[in-house]
Amino acid sequence: MKKEEILLGNGAIALGLLEAGCQVVTSYPGTPSSEILPEVIRLIKSENLNTYVEWSTNEKVALDNAFAASITGKRAACCMKQVGLNVAADSLMSAAYLGTVGGLVIISCDDPGPHSSQTEQDTRFMARLAKVPVLDPSNPEEARKMVGLAMELSEEFRVPVILRPAIRVCHARQNIVYDSLPANPKKSAFEKDPSRWAATPRFRLILHGELNKKLKEIGKKFDTLTPYNFHSLEAGRKYPLGIIAGGVPYAVIRDILEEEKRTDLPVLKLGTPYPFPEALASEFMGACDKVLVIEETDTLIEYLLRDRNKVLGRLSEHVPLEGEMVPQVIYGLLDRTLRELNLQGFEGEKDTEAMELVKGLQLPVRKPTLCPGCPHRAAFFAIRKTRPKAIFTSDIGCYTLGMNLGAVDTCLDMGAGITMASGFYHAFTQDGVDQPIVATIGDSTFYHSGTAGLLNAVYNGSRFILVILDNLTTAMTGMQPSPSMGIRADGSEGRAISLERIVAGCGVDFIEVLDPYDIKKMTDVLKKAAEYIKEPEGGIAVIIARHPCLIAYRAEAIPEKKKVMVTDDCAECNFCVDRFECPAIYHDQELGRTNINPQLCSSCGVCIQICPKGAIVEVA
Amino acid sequence: MNTINMVLCGLGGQGILFMTKVLAQLALDKGYNVMGAETHGMAQRGGSVVSHLRLGNVQGSLVRTHEAPLLLALEENEGYRNLPFLAKGGRLYVNTASPLFPREDVRSFLAKKEIIPRSVPAGRIALDLGAPMSSNLALLGFFSAFEDDPFDYETMRQTIGKISPDRFRDMNLSIYDAGYQEGKKG
Repeated sequence: MKKEEILLGNGAIALGLLEAGCQVVTSYPGTPSSEILPEVIRLIKSENLNTYVEWSTNEKVALDNAFAASITGKRAACCMKQVGLNVAADSLMSAAYLGTVGGLVIISCDDPGPHSSQTEQDTRFMARLAKVPVLDPSNPEEARKMVGLAMELSEEFRVPVILRPAIRVCHARQNIVYDSLPANPKKSAFEKDPSRWAATPRFRLILHGELNKKLKEIGKKFDTLTPYNFHSLEAGRKYPLGIIAGGVPYAVIRDILEEEKRTDLPVLKLGTPYPFPEALASEFMGACDKVLVIEETDTLIEYLLRDRNKVLGRLSEHVPLEGEMVPQVIYGLLDRTLRELNLQGFEGEKDTEAMELVKGLQLPVRKPTLCPGCPHRAAFFAIRKTRPKAIFTSDIGCYTLGMNLGAVDTCLDMGAGITMASGFYHAFTQDGVDQPIVATIGDSTFYHSGTAGLLNAVYNGSRFILVILDNLTTAMTGMQPSPSMGIRADGSEGRAISLERIVAGCGVDFIEVLDPYDIKKMTDVLKKAAEYIKEPEGGIAVIIARHPCLIAYRAEAIPEKKKVMVTDDCAECNFCVDRFECPAIYHDQELGRTNINPQLCSSCGVCIQICPKGAIVEVA
Repeated sequence: MNTINMVLCGLGGQGILFMTKVLAQLALDKGYNVMGAETHGMAQRGGSVVSHLRLGNVQGSLVRTHEAPLLLALEENEGYRNLPFLAKGGRLYVNTASPLFPREDVRSFLAKKEIIPRSVPAGRIALDLGAPMSSNLALLGFFSAFEDDPFDYETMRQTIGKISPDRFRDMNLSIYDAGYQEGKKG
């Protein structure tokens, strides 16, 4: 029965996977990819499918798992954010050579902007590096269709295929019509072939040759893959300027040209930029004196065009080298380029009066902050208070926002809270300098890539305090379960993995578990840990600061609510506002002192412990 | 059908996604194609949240500056921040109890662009009815009092009834109605 729903782009991708009969979906959460797996789960539950799903511990693990399913003949997919593909790169590069049996689609979601990532890297270049095809959808509906195309290509040519939706596809919403979903009854069968599945370098050379042949054939297929690659040239006509675009920029350009009624500007849409559809691109270039390339986020198409004299884009500074290609940016750069070439510019409004007005209004800067009642805030407060001179290495998650409390100095990549701590330790110790270091990492990030760094740090004799901020969930990306609770992706019961046991297994002898809401306890343990790391037999001290996330666990997270107020003892020192940085505590200009916003306050009561004057008290 | 572009903004936790969902579902039920863009992830932790909604046959999910006839703001400063999206002759709907709205230094700009600013104490309306987190519904009700098809009061009310979870339905509708009454008063 046909249904029409307004789906998130990630929901459309999930739909596409199940429409293509995908039997295994693995993922590690990360914006903007996080909703794909939950949407798959929603659909398999409503349609009663037996697709296997998992939140894997990291992206490499996810890809390895999906790859194994693929070589049993099943269709499999693996979803992650773009920087997750760095983690999975080892698997990807090798899988490209080995090839697939059942379709294998890797969905790597890019974040131009960046809105919620450490880089603006372009997954299409990873595809080029790994030598696997990449598809670049312009909107949710196309992403859904491209998933099916990717599965077919992967099976036909026996190669993994990457789908690269950018954030404006993942987090777009569009009405989508769909029918009931097929069940895929394919059974697993593994045909042993060590020269392929366990190939040694001698065989790898042969496999590389095979891969190159596949790419050549796929490139030819892409030349005529008209629903995804096409142009609007009129036969025999010559044009002073043509536009080449893919992904989200293509959608924006289509809308702009339609509004401006510009049929004089031909567009070549490249939905499958690699392997490059050479013949199609040459045909387009042949009809245009110049071509302007507008792509996200980097210069893949621009590099792949052969006639360099005709190409305008990022390298010629016609297109910004960084930042998101939002409609006003594309509109402005197209208009400027047209005028530069003495062609007719656009007619719509271009004035920047409103932007300048807004700049002049001095509107409040809304920096992201930890939620009221967040247990990380309590932990960071205690860390900063106890070890004020330390270098604070941290990691990726909500707790990166601990920088607002002055308790996060570094954030490099997943797991670097620990590895950078050991790096700092050795760099300073080499000079004979006793530099205090406190590392922080969240539970999910620790399971993702903490253990290798911790093993290394213990093995190589580093000394620092590591605080594992265990809020029993993966909070920043939307409350996906982490292995600490043993709840699996579909809500079923899995096996809980104890952080304490992993840490002990890594060779750590100092392990304390506490609730960071108890700031006195936390500071006492931090002091004890600081002494331990200096002892001759000391080493790394690990504190597991465990308290459930308030968003994930709601009322359960604060079993004893403490309604608080500020008394007349407040000396207006602003210590609480500056150092505790709770959104519910503010300087009330009318009262002339600190006050509590009851709508924001979570009644966690932690602030009672931090006021130097004792002026924050529980309401009797 | 002409494309209708709108921008909805406010702060994380104010219910912008639900407000967008109501308008998107309403438009879909009226036969529009719907395209929208949302804020997720890091930006949601107490930061500015913006939602774009485009009704009609469009390819892209983002509204271009100068292209939205409608801007709905659940917080006054966020409303000002998103002024560049408003088209000439557009309508600005803001949740604020401030008698000074719109602030002095934007008035000449609004007049020049023939933008109609309207404000409603949506937060207060929701608080008075016992649901301080539901200013989004009061703003929608207020908005419907000034708009015609596709955003008429009656159909939007049905949509809210349809997509509200059971336990919030009656409360949501009463807040929506109170916002509408406030609009009709003015």
